[in-house]
Amino acid sequence: MHKARSINQNTWLDVLPNFRNLGVLVRILLISNSLALLEAILRAGSWADVPLRMIQIATLFIPILLTSLLVLWVLQPWLNSLRYWHGALVVNVMVILLTLSIYSLGGELFSPLGGDGRYFDVARYMLLGVITCGILLMYFRLRSKVLSRALHDARLQVLRARIRPHFLFNCINTVLGVVRAQPKQAETALEDMADLFRAAMADTDVQHLALLSHEIQLTKQYLALEQLRMGERLQVKWQIQDVPDDALIPPLLLQPLLENAVYHGIEPLSKGGCINTILRRDGNELILVVENPCLSRNTEQYSGNQMALQNIRERLDLLFDVEARYRVEIGNGFYRAEIALPYMKGARRDYS
Amino acid sequence: MTIVEVALRVFIVDDEPPARNRLRDLLGDCDSQLPLEIIGEAGNGQEALDMLMATPADVVLLDIRMPQMDGIELAQHLQKLPKPPRVLFTTAYDAYAINAFELHAIDYLLKPIRLGRLFDALIRARGAVPVQTEVLRDLLPDPRKHLSIHERGKIYLIPIEKVLYLRAELKYITVQTVEREYLIEESLAALEKEFATRFLRIHRNCLVAKQEIEGFEKSGEEGESSWMVKLKGLEELLPISRRQQHLVKKLVI
Repeated sequence: MHKARSINQNTWLDVLPNFRNLGVLVRILLISNSLALLEAILRAGSWADVPLRMIQIATLFIPILLTSLLVLWVLQPWLNSLRYWHGALVVNVMVILLTLSIYSLGGELFSPLGGDGRYFDVARYMLLGVITCGILLMYFRLRSKVLSRALHDARLQVLRARIRPHFLFNCINTVLGVVRAQPKQAETALEDMADLFRAAMADTDVQHLALLSHEIQLTKQYLALEQLRMGERLQVKWQIQDVPDDALIPPLLLQPLLENAVYHGIEPLSKGGCINTILRRDGNELILVVENPCLSRNTEQYSGNQMALQNIRERLDLLFDVEARYRVEIGNGFYRAEIALPYMKGARRDYS
Repeated sequence: MTIVEVALRVFIVDDEPPARNRLRDLLGDCDSQLPLEIIGEAGNGQEALDMLMATPADVVLLDIRMPQMDGIELAQHLQKLPKPPRVLFTTAYDAYAINAFELHAIDYLLKPIRLGRLFDALIRARGAVPVQTEVLRDLLPDPRKHLSIHERGKIYLIPIEKVLYLRAELKYITVQTVEREYLIEESLAALEKEFATRFLRIHRNCLVAKQEIEGFEKSGEEGESSWMVKLKGLEELLPISRRQQHLVKKLVI
């Protein structure tokens, strides 16, 4: 899969959906049931006939659907290691085999016709199964394509935002301001700046995940630069509870949240303020919370950061679907962003 | 170029400590060719105003982007000092302000500031006249956040949110807050234009803060009766002129 991607240089993900993701399962259930309902309507003689037809279809269709999902769940890691078209073929063959075996097992229940009608009947169900399967795969492929393109644009925006003039000039001016009096601090600041720009410009795969500890380190380097510039006005409190060292998160997810809090929250306050950063693990979820004070009339934070916000949302959508949440709470004089995403661990791995 | 023996008194205003360090270093470098003295520095507008009232400066190096009160607003308040200083704006990146400065031929310094640029600007500033308040007002896209009151040789800044009403008297304008009233020398028409979103004209000589309106009362004889405005935290009722009553009705509905 990796080889294939690097050869055709696709920026979007040419992979099967993750059959262990709740969002994917829900989408499969919804779409396939809608198709079954459509078939019931096509076969029915009147509206009153539709529920009866639906029940008839469901007796065969539901067992096939559920067993398929179960098999896909089990096979997921293996399917994911195949090329896309091989994987799609495997999924289709599996659906045909399951239809055939469940139909045969059901015996009389599904085949009132008997004789030759039986062969037509089973062939028809296999065909319907393959069509449903094809529609679903096409849907997921299209969805991944659309989201990936948005993501590609978003990444360019992040890049542009990171090297946006304010940030660059602020950094350079800060370094110039301390270079004579505190040459050591100036050195550290330049090193931090280099790390931040390196991270922003890294051309990593969209599915690449970074170690949370590394992201925290990077964010702290960013904050050190801002603290050098703003002095005591910027305070940051970290509360890290029960977060394992091997937790993984998408890169550059945490730092933009803090940057937003500094730029729109703390900077306009003449006395400054304290940003609260809370990282904790809640069962199978990792929760990131960034809370900052802000001027109550400052609506800029809500409109100005739409791009950063949108970018984070899109990435979470593509990677985790409904398994991740992003919430923003705006209160009287405070702003709070909260992200919940599945807890994943590993030295370094791709989420797919 | 004649070298003036009297040291140039320079004051620095910037909210970021490293930026003030940098300016101190550079001014130190200028010192050998241009006698100057750094008489103080401040991290925000109010502090700067207080210090400059006590010790006047010839030149103020003033950052544009600061919390609470930006540099352009502070420059306007500085014009009320008995001997207004020449202002040299400094900015890292602010396309809007830079365009405006170019347009009005106002001197500014881009951060990071080069020694040569600073030196030239100081030489020019020594002979220049202070920038006019009206020009500065044109530079500011937003209304001021404070009114500056000149009283007994001191300058007080009144946050605009605290002002309940502005009323033109004979020569001055009365600025009323919950605590007390102040007098300023500005034109009511200009104030009305600048703070159009905040104040409502209820009378030829009076603007009231829309947010502070508590209610309306009718007073006077039958037929001759007129409406009065009641403001939060204020006993006094303000008359609404006949010509403005339609505006007020719109607000009530």
